[in-house]
Amino acid sequence: MTAFLALLRRDLLVTTRHAGPLLLSTLTQPILVILVFGNIMPRLGLVAAGFGAVMAPGLMAITMLMAGVQGVLIPLVQDLSGTREVDERLLAPISVRGVAMERIVAGAIHSLAAGLVALPAMILLMHGVGHTDVRPAWSLLLPLSVACGLISSAFGLTLGTRVQPRFSGLLFAVVLGPMMLFGCAYYPFAALSRIGAFQYAFLVNPLTFISEAMRIAVTPGAEHMPYALLIVGLAAWLFVFGFAGARSFERRTIL
Amino acid sequence: MARSRGGHRARAGLRARIEPPRMSILVVDDLVKTYPGTRKAPPVEAVRGVSFAVEKGEFFGLLGPNGAGKSTTLGCISTLVRPTSGRILVDGSDVTRDTREAKRGIAVVPQTRNLDRDLTVREVLTWHGRYFGLAAAEREARADRLLQELQVADKAQAKPANLSGGQQQRVMIARALMHDPKVVLLDEPTTGLDPQARRLLWETLRSLHERGTTFILTTHYMEEADRLCERLAIVDHGRILTLDTPAALKRSLPAGQVLDMWVRAAQPIAPRLRRVPGVMKVEEVQDGGDGGDALERLRLFVDSGDGLLDRVLHAVRDGGADLHHVSLSQPSLEDVYIHFTGRELRD
Repeated sequence: MTAFLALLRRDLLVTTRHAGPLLLSTLTQPILVILVFGNIMPRLGLVAAGFGAVMAPGLMAITMLMAGVQGVLIPLVQDLSGTREVDERLLAPISVRGVAMERIVAGAIHSLAAGLVALPAMILLMHGVGHTDVRPAWSLLLPLSVACGLISSAFGLTLGTRVQPRFSGLLFAVVLGPMMLFGCAYYPFAALSRIGAFQYAFLVNPLTFISEAMRIAVTPGAEHMPYALLIVGLAAWLFVFGFAGARSFERRTIL
Repeated sequence: MARSRGGHRARAGLRARIEPPRMSILVVDDLVKTYPGTRKAPPVEAVRGVSFAVEKGEFFGLLGPNGAGKSTTLGCISTLVRPTSGRILVDGSDVTRDTREAKRGIAVVPQTRNLDRDLTVREVLTWHGRYFGLAAAEREARADRLLQELQVADKAQAKPANLSGGQQQRVMIARALMHDPKVVLLDEPTTGLDPQARRLLWETLRSLHERGTTFILTTHYMEEADRLCERLAIVDHGRILTLDTPAALKRSLPAGQVLDMWVRAAQPIAPRLRRVPGVMKVEEVQDGGDGGDALERLRLFVDSGDGLLDRVLHAVRDGGADLHHVSLSQPSLEDVYIHFTGRELRD
């Protein structure tokens, strides 16, 4: 446990030292999107006034997913493709799984911080536009954000250890891009009932659950996925990525 | 029954008094590592049954060409490579079963310079101490002492990327010593260093060893092995060919001196040379020549006495060969290596 906590503290120290560029890279996109779709376009009457409230939780979900994935994936790809700084961690008195878990927790904290900074920024940008009313349920927001952060970083670990470093650029185009479009970020899952059984295809996308979790927490009044489905979905994806990520991490690092 | 058990115990006790159990700090027992094949590549038998033991305070070396299995052996000891079979004990802890305890006893100075780029040199040391649970006062004091000892104190606040290769190597050694390991594994520590930095590092390692640190070194530099190691295993194709002190290895050669000759011969002259009195052994060294018009290199182990060179020259001439040049020397580790493997170090 000592080694685990020491590694985590080291990661948090380094993250806070680079906080400026990190926040800039994760927050620029969602804030500009909300500025355009949640402020400018509703004012022009081009989208419905409430669209911002639908998008805000979805954008928060995307922010968290990207922060979690990048927080783990980028250092990992650099490590495995040459710098091998990871070896120092693997030589510390901690199991290999422990090192993988530490990466997941550090990534989740990164993701959580990004999400919690994005939210007030978005609320501020949409304030007073149309009938937008974003009143988060704070008691739900924290536990759900933790779960979403963990899924995001475990997903990053899985991608980082299973994808060849030379293809990591492709990941954003082929995996993360489509995930964002089909992850119920820009529309609620409940509304998809209008397209019939095809609605359930969206459940193979972990972002769907992250978006719905944020929807429940950020705009509790809006229509959302049933709680039971949400909890099962979050738990299932966390288990799948946690297990797959730790396993492939061990395979990639211990020859 | 009870009496016979007691008698057995008494005998065992007696034996223990006569031969006190000497616990090696590191035991490698019949280590095998086969990297599994892939669709494109067959399996690789990197280590095929390596056994050795290292005593406390010893400087032990694994000498061999690239691909001989040295680094894989070191990887298995460090827990970063999973052995296919065999057993490794670090101060009594099995590296595969009791991994965490074994890791406390090991430190690695890897081939790749892998210092934490996000920290300063001093932080690299103190954070390493934290990973191993050192208390704040202890890790600060130790970091300061090691920075001094390894002559990098003036770089304490620099980032590793701004250090020269030799300085980074010394910081990696300081990092390795932070948690007071039982054994320090040095994987080709001077590869890529200029001669000056290499000599400085040798000095540093020697003084650390004099103060009691146990080292295991892999290298393909003969001079490095000769200067630093107290015992040496010559490794090739995943096996230990021989293991002894450098001096004993040199003594194990068949004769007192080594005569290297480069000749151009129409037909093999080695058989003729073998018959010359004073020549104990003749080896045809393959040193990468293409076999066509290239010079042939012969290594003669000789007991040099009166007229030996004359007799050798006669034999060469009588064999219809052209002698290009010769060199007479004391046997070196390279001769030992060539003697055991029949070829020079591959690169």
